[in-house]
Amino acid sequence: MLQPLTVVLLVATGVVCLLAVHHLWRRRLVDDPLVLVAAATELGLVGQLVVGLTKASAIGDGAERATFIAYLFTVLLVLPAAVVIAIKEKTQWAMAVVLGAAVVVAILLARLQQVWTLNA
Amino acid sequence: MPDNASHHDSVPADFRQERPHTGHGFGRLLVAVYGLLALAATGRSILQISEYFDRAPVSYVLSALAAVIYVVATVGLARGDRASVRLATIALTVELLGVLVVGAISYAVPSAFPDKTVWSHFGSGYGYVPLLLPLLGLWWIRRTARASAASGMGGGEPARSTD
Repeated sequence: MLQPLTVVLLVATGVVCLLAVHHLWRRRLVDDPLVLVAAATELGLVGQLVVGLTKASAIGDGAERATFIAYLFTVLLVLPAAVVIAIKEKTQWAMAVVLGAAVVVAILLARLQQVWTLNA
Repeated sequence: MPDNASHHDSVPADFRQERPHTGHGFGRLLVAVYGLLALAATGRSILQISEYFDRAPVSYVLSALAAVIYVVATVGLARGDRASVRLATIALTVELLGVLVVGAISYAVPSAFPDKTVWSHFGSGYGYVPLLLPLLGLWWIRRTARASAASGMGGGEPARSTD
């Protein structure tokens, strides 16, 4: 859809991943840097939602368009939910949750791009 | 202290010995993954049933069933009291049977499932996560139950946490 935005978002997701691995390694729990990077990524994802919704009409097939829009919204839920779960957890599993969430966001970004290129 | 963010500001995350709970520690990751699957399966089945149910009714009813099971498993594991864990155990067992039966049928009689479900081909469309997850979940439930029995809780009834 908007390739530069997708690339930026993938990089941001990568930073969340690296930070989670770092924290896991150093036995740290959720702290300000992690929350800030996750929040910045989330902001980018909201931007993607806005761009995606304005461009969604380019997808002709109704079901594919619904899928595309559903992904746009779903991807917004993953990071906040993961951070909330991770804050509650006081062992290293907290970072495992954040790491998993970042991977899922990356997969959803790839799926969004795929749905777009196949149908628009 | 202006510079408290850079040095050891968080507690070292060692594994504290706490009362075994299906929703804590590794269980937190399990709940997160089940929550995600619940979301994905619910969304997918709403779309399938509302947009093109006639294409493959059996597949779509199964998707909806899987969604319900994932929701029950997520809530059950997260709550972690005795009744919830029992409910989660049932949900995971049904899930395991479902993925095995539907997976086998989808290979043996491909025409039975013209459109994919989360369980067809043993969940290969989802990286076999639907097959591995119930096994992992049942192992985890067993482990926490044994741990709480061993810690002298008698019957393993963990107190409901208040957070």
